[in-house]
Amino acid sequence: MSEETEATRSGEETGGGGAGRRSDGQLRRALSALRHDPLALTGTAVLALLVVVGVAGPWLAPSGINEVNIDRMLEAPSWSHPFGTDELGRDVLSRVMVAARVSLQVGLVSVGIALVVGVTFGLFAGYYRGWLDNVLMRCMDVLFAFPVLLLAVAIVAVLGPGLLTAMIAIGVVYTPIFARVTRAGVLSVREQVFVRAAVSIGASDLRIIVRHVLPNIAAPLIVQTSLSLAFAILSEAALSFLGLGVQPPEPAWGRMLYDGRGFVTEAWWLGVFPGAAIFLTVLAFNLVGDALRDVLDPRQLTVSESRRSSG
Amino acid sequence: MSSTRFRLAGATLALTLAVVAGCSTGEGVDVDGADGAAAGGVLNAAIGGEPDQLDPHKTSAYYSFQVLENVYDTLVEPDANLEMKPALATEWSTSDDQLTWTFTLRQGLKFSDGSPLTAEDVVYSYTRIIDEKLNNAYRFATVKSVTAPDPTTVVVTLSAPTPNLLANLGGFKGVAIVQKANVESGEITTKPIGSGPFALGSYTSGDNISLVRNDNYWGEQPKLDGVRFTFVSDPTVALQNLRGGEVQWTDNLPPQQVPALRDGDDPTVQSVPSSDYWYLALNQARKPYDDVNVRRAVAFALDREAITKAAKFGLATVNQTAIPQNSAFYYEYAPYRHDPNQARQLLDQAGVSGLTMDLMVTSEYPETVTAAQVIASQLEAIGVTVKIRTLDFAQWLDEQSSGKFDAFMLGWLGNIDPDEFYYAQHHSGGTFNFHKYANPAVDRLLDQARTETDQGARKQQYEQVAKQIVDDASYIYLYNPDVAQGWSRQVSGYEVRTDRAIRFRDVALAR
Amino acid sequence: MARFVLRRLLQSGVVLLGVTLVVFLLLQLVPGDPVRVALGTRFDPQTYEALRARAGLDQPLVVQYFDYLRRALTGDLGVSFRSGRPVTEIVLERLPATLSLAVTAVLFAMLVAFPLGILSAIRSGSLIDHAARVFSQFGVSVPDFWMGIMGILLFAGVLGWLPPSGYVALTEDPGKWASHVALPAATVGLVTASILTRFIRSSMLEVLSEDYVRTAEAKGLRTRVVVLRHVLRNALIPVVTVVAVQLASLLGGVIVIEVLFAWPGIGRLTYDAVQARDYPVLQGAVLLVAALFLLVNLLVDILYARLDPRITVK
Repeated sequence: MSEETEATRSGEETGGGGAGRRSDGQLRRALSALRHDPLALTGTAVLALLVVVGVAGPWLAPSGINEVNIDRMLEAPSWSHPFGTDELGRDVLSRVMVAARVSLQVGLVSVGIALVVGVTFGLFAGYYRGWLDNVLMRCMDVLFAFPVLLLAVAIVAVLGPGLLTAMIAIGVVYTPIFARVTRAGVLSVREQVFVRAAVSIGASDLRIIVRHVLPNIAAPLIVQTSLSLAFAILSEAALSFLGLGVQPPEPAWGRMLYDGRGFVTEAWWLGVFPGAAIFLTVLAFNLVGDALRDVLDPRQLTVSESRRSSG
Repeated sequence: MSSTRFRLAGATLALTLAVVAGCSTGEGVDVDGADGAAAGGVLNAAIGGEPDQLDPHKTSAYYSFQVLENVYDTLVEPDANLEMKPALATEWSTSDDQLTWTFTLRQGLKFSDGSPLTAEDVVYSYTRIIDEKLNNAYRFATVKSVTAPDPTTVVVTLSAPTPNLLANLGGFKGVAIVQKANVESGEITTKPIGSGPFALGSYTSGDNISLVRNDNYWGEQPKLDGVRFTFVSDPTVALQNLRGGEVQWTDNLPPQQVPALRDGDDPTVQSVPSSDYWYLALNQARKPYDDVNVRRAVAFALDREAITKAAKFGLATVNQTAIPQNSAFYYEYAPYRHDPNQARQLLDQAGVSGLTMDLMVTSEYPETVTAAQVIASQLEAIGVTVKIRTLDFAQWLDEQSSGKFDAFMLGWLGNIDPDEFYYAQHHSGGTFNFHKYANPAVDRLLDQARTETDQGARKQQYEQVAKQIVDDASYIYLYNPDVAQGWSRQVSGYEVRTDRAIRFRDVALAR
Repeated sequence: MARFVLRRLLQSGVVLLGVTLVVFLLLQLVPGDPVRVALGTRFDPQTYEALRARAGLDQPLVVQYFDYLRRALTGDLGVSFRSGRPVTEIVLERLPATLSLAVTAVLFAMLVAFPLGILSAIRSGSLIDHAARVFSQFGVSVPDFWMGIMGILLFAGVLGWLPPSGYVALTEDPGKWASHVALPAATVGLVTASILTRFIRSSMLEVLSEDYVRTAEAKGLRTRVVVLRHVLRNALIPVVTVVAVQLASLLGGVIVIEVLFAWPGIGRLTYDAVQARDYPVLQGAVLLVAALFLLVNLLVDILYARLDPRITVK
């Protein structure tokens, strides 16, 4: 975040909603703003690192994630094991690195689900209004009535723990946010001159939605996606910490905390490093998301902290 | 349906966050008798989780039995050496054909609510287990009828001689004598009424169960005024509570700290080998595990010391047979040493290469999940790729009974008689023979030993059984875990038992 | 006003109906036979049949739902697959623990967030503003269970000031209750505080930039007076909503923290029910939490409408 306050910013920018292709300039502006925002730059750098580790983790990791060595269990950090070893003598650094992939995967897939479903719902609801709007949005209200983690836990409980169900559960939980953000955007775009013009020359609904509406609501969606990634990763970590996410021997940060909990008093590194990895990842997504929001979504259509689940 | 008598949720392992907390109000020690011991008081005990319910016939959770051990009685009960001793029954006799057992009950037995306990209650309890096909119905497999000719006499009629009948009827509180009215009112699940040294006082769901002294107890009155079981799932917390004086007893100790704790003297921590065993089973209905060489290869590939260290932090004794060293039926036999070369040769002989093995474990018993990861790394060394499947227990049981597995790891807990160790698991018609082991010689011996009344001959038969099972690698036995429990200096008269029964009736609490 | 309240009531009713449907369908989504799965090793034919019948699983789906609804309305949420006890009883006895944790956490959060948020808005750009923003960014990003573990390590382990976990009822021993609630409440509260700080700060900034404030300042009123008289009142109205929404979500959402600190509330109950496959209890807990959540939101909206008359106009 820059020195400017959010309030003054929104003052500057609420006016600029008219032009047909708003998003190009906006994106450019967003990128340049990111370049000049040290926090956002840091966040981006962390994310880039994360992606590299997520993709190439197994090759970069100093040792195999399932290299059990009982004689070296619970060793403190050292040159050969910078993050120490766990209760099976496995290298914690390697496991933290490889687990990055799981976190990213869960984040991307679940937010992907939420994005596709939520945006579709939001578009239909906002564009067609009427009973469809009512039905769809009441459904979203229903999902919204459950605390995030509670609903996710309930879904996982029913479908059975695992990577796939965790992704589905988190995806479902974050769908209503996207539906609401999209609908709000559509409602404001719908009445604008260029959309009315398109309607009057007989353009098809699909064409109008794809060519005119979507590009104009892209900005809040981008912001929402970035922020949701942070919460999705946090949710996955929480599920895994409850033993309901990724199952062993696959490493996941939350699961590592869960497995290491019995030993943290004698092996602090089992508690510190996986937790720090979650924190940094979420922080990075939040920093980038906040910076994007300051530029792209001055009206704050996006929903963020208030939906962050505690516990 | 399970391979565990009770679902001991890995009590000593840094297990799940399964249940509640260690709180307790601390001031358990009620000091009116200033002379130290025998001062009454309430003992605070931290157990690893919350009972699912308190009906002894229906629960299978170890947490329930930790509490119920002190609430209920059986006709006979195992002493410290697991020999059956009088409890509700003072004496018993067997007919010449071994088919009729007559038990004589104590005079004037009462339930904790003051109502009389008679032979009719025994008949009711056993009939309930048998007719409703409850968990322990299998213990009555040879029982034809149970009758009560008079209020203090119970007659059990059998279809075949059953030398281990006493163990079946008294081995643990899953076959306790319950009160009919208590069952019929449905209150037995939360307010059970037994005849044991303590009676249920109060139950705060999610936090604790309090027992109070049962003034109607037939035996010597307990010294304690009561016992309060709090549910503390985290072993480090339980230990902290024990050290801080909030609890005076716990069996939920961090396993990795037990060796050091045993050397200290406050709190007192003791461990004894249990009669539980943990094992690996290979599905002999599937190729190539039908080949004994493949199974033996796996047995040779395992480094049991490492597995034990990982799963139990050394709080276990490596064993290649089922029955632990302290049992009269222990048979010393350990043909498998950790030898990857031998294992590879055996695989070559069997013509097996590039094998991928599906190993099924359950999150219900975290030690299986831990051990599986070690097993996987050891089998990798002989070219076998292990795919670990972690399931929840219900699903695990379904897969087990439908035979959908290459291999699984699990334990059998709390067995006493060798028949319990071998018959259901290794007889070709055994109810728990899910890995489809079949050896006619073993079947014959098991059938014979089951009804053999000569103890010497019986022991020999079971030794033959054990040797054959190990040679055939029907189960690949891994270890017998220890039972470790700790208590504060205030506690006297407590004894750690190999069958994990937790008895507070002789315990006193000093200031 | 009355029309607004009526409309919101109706809306909440419809959503609540939807919630019951979702909760009901949870059981139907269980792959296989939920009663069989739930009983696991405790399977016996009689219990099985009894539970199936009690859960109404032998009926057609539609009948089952309306039956569930009808009984839910009379406070009957079925019986636990695990203990056979009424779900309503089980769920309600966990409410005090959750309530006391949630309220304490929110109070703690307000205690931190109000001074921090207000100061950082008034002294925008100052050191304290930076600190507040670092704090709130930290709070929103940190996994609370991780912070909880670190808290246990530090305060219960190294320093030994607080018990690592556990619960004593407030009514039983207030002192012990306080020492037990401190760590979990602080853990949850920090996250909530960081969220609140942000809202308070931006809400204040928004009001501070409005014309009447500028006018007041121009008229020579000292900043402090302006802040107290005008800004606070107007800025804090929206904050009420956020506080209430946070409270509502804490009432049902603190699963991980309750599990970590062995706090016998609704969250832990949910977790235990999941572990034990006790679906009726899971359903009951989820339903209660969602209903509470809706109720709090409804109350907030009504309260908000009273505080800010503009709302009713829409």
